[in-house]
Amino acid sequence: MMLAGTIWQRELVEFAQRRRALVIKLGFPLLVALPLVISGAPTIYAAMALTMLITIVGALGSGAVLTRERQSGLTLRYRTLPVTPGRLLIERLSTSALIDFFQLTPVLLVVAVRHPSAFVWWPALLLSVAAVLLIGNLLGAVASTLSDSPGEVMLYVIIPLLPLLYLSGVFTPLEPPILLVVSRLLPFSYLYEALLGALGGQPNLLPWETVLGGFGFLVGAIGLTGRFGRRVLESD
Amino acid sequence: MKADTVSERSLLAATGLTRAYRGGKGVFDVTLRLNPGEVLGLMGPNGSGKTTLLRLLATAATPTGGQISWFGNSNPRDPSVRRRLGIMLDQPAHFEQMTGYQNAWFFAHQFGLGDELTRERLDELFRWSGLSDARDQRVSEYSLGMKRKLNLVEALVHRPSVLLLDEPSLALDYRAELDLIERLQLLSLTGTAVALATNDVHLAERICDRVVFLHQGRVIREGQVPELLTEVAGSQEVELQLNSPIGLERIRALPEVEAANVEADTVHIVLARGTNPAQVLAVLNGTADLVSNMRVRRPNLGDLFLKLTGEALPVAHP
Repeated sequence: MMLAGTIWQRELVEFAQRRRALVIKLGFPLLVALPLVISGAPTIYAAMALTMLITIVGALGSGAVLTRERQSGLTLRYRTLPVTPGRLLIERLSTSALIDFFQLTPVLLVVAVRHPSAFVWWPALLLSVAAVLLIGNLLGAVASTLSDSPGEVMLYVIIPLLPLLYLSGVFTPLEPPILLVVSRLLPFSYLYEALLGALGGQPNLLPWETVLGGFGFLVGAIGLTGRFGRRVLESD
Repeated sequence: MKADTVSERSLLAATGLTRAYRGGKGVFDVTLRLNPGEVLGLMGPNGSGKTTLLRLLATAATPTGGQISWFGNSNPRDPSVRRRLGIMLDQPAHFEQMTGYQNAWFFAHQFGLGDELTRERLDELFRWSGLSDARDQRVSEYSLGMKRKLNLVEALVHRPSVLLLDEPSLALDYRAELDLIERLQLLSLTGTAVALATNDVHLAERICDRVVFLHQGRVIREGQVPELLTEVAGSQEVELQLNSPIGLERIRALPEVEAANVEADTVHIVLARGTNPAQVLAVLNGTADLVSNMRVRRPNLGDLFLKLTGEALPVAHP
């Protein structure tokens, strides 16, 4: 029997014990990504679909789990643990993001195998995937405080995500300079650019710029998660 | 159990504690203290504020007014405060896909226990609670009683200075309740303070040193159990089980009736000292055949509550 003494260990143990969920979690992104990457779909469409996939994987996982925990009374129990809310949320969401990353690893491997020459984009891709997953998890966690069911939380997550993805230039190239500036303030634009690069396309940013963006958003997401600890775990 | 002495420093002290919810529910202006080795009962009907008060004391909810001090510290988020609290909330929430032992192991480690100590204490507590055979079973397969026992195990494992228990005897069988009473009595002898929210008058009379009555979120009476019981000593509680509803007005109008209330199909009547219970039947005058059963018993804390509020405490063990 696997025993977990810390919050992150517990997340991993529960994930490892749920074999059926494990298979589905690993299979679902592959099912979406394989035809896109293998068939040689236009890079901009493949990058768009993969950006949406990665964002949604990040946002839905923790949102649904936290809503269920709020209903079952587990959130209330978490509040009584001798751990600060910020640390608790960072530990939980970063583990959840790590699990999401694991879920997406086969997809990233397929991209790497299909486009080995684009290896220069890999640091940027890994960093921006991590940043988007953590931000997605945080968005899901905040949405869980507004909703009463896992189904409802999906709605609260998707509603802000779609315009944000649009403003990131994921759906269509952005021409006006002001929109370009806005897109650089959103993490999804760096993920999209990194995916474009890793899929052999023509990104608008250089690899080092994308690395910088991904890294910045990753650090920012960790700080923001700590700040949101009380908001997420102590809202009634 | 220890008597309350002024010289003892309170482990927990609440002053003017308020937590208001929309719709007028919550707790209002509650002041109480909990001394080492003391067992305090929080009693009141459903919706009286027991659970809210316990959650506030357990740092699970934030007050909208007033102050709480735990071990002289008023910061509820201070890990050193929470490490000394053992909490059993109303919902026996667990990670359902993990086993009972995995859950207990996880919570024990959150309170700073090492592997060896956790193993040793959990072995003892699982034996004590009767959960040993089910320790490797998923919690989703546990009954409500088993989940509540597991909650107790988790509340006790780190040997807290203060135990805060919400309806600890709920869903426990006779043997388990007896074990719980013995355990709490033993803990109180070793200085652990216990606050328990309960409707179980027998449990409260048996183990509580002091009881706080809550009604509509406010403390309406507080005192040592023997002192409270003297207020109803000599009076009698009559329970009439009915086949069909009857009006209480005529019963309440009797000068010998101190309080009367109906709960489900049972009328609870507190009669003044020296009254013959047959007088109650006499006043029913023609409707007495609607009474299927009549029971007279010595008064308890529930009768005092009825006398004070006109409202009966729900029966903990039907």
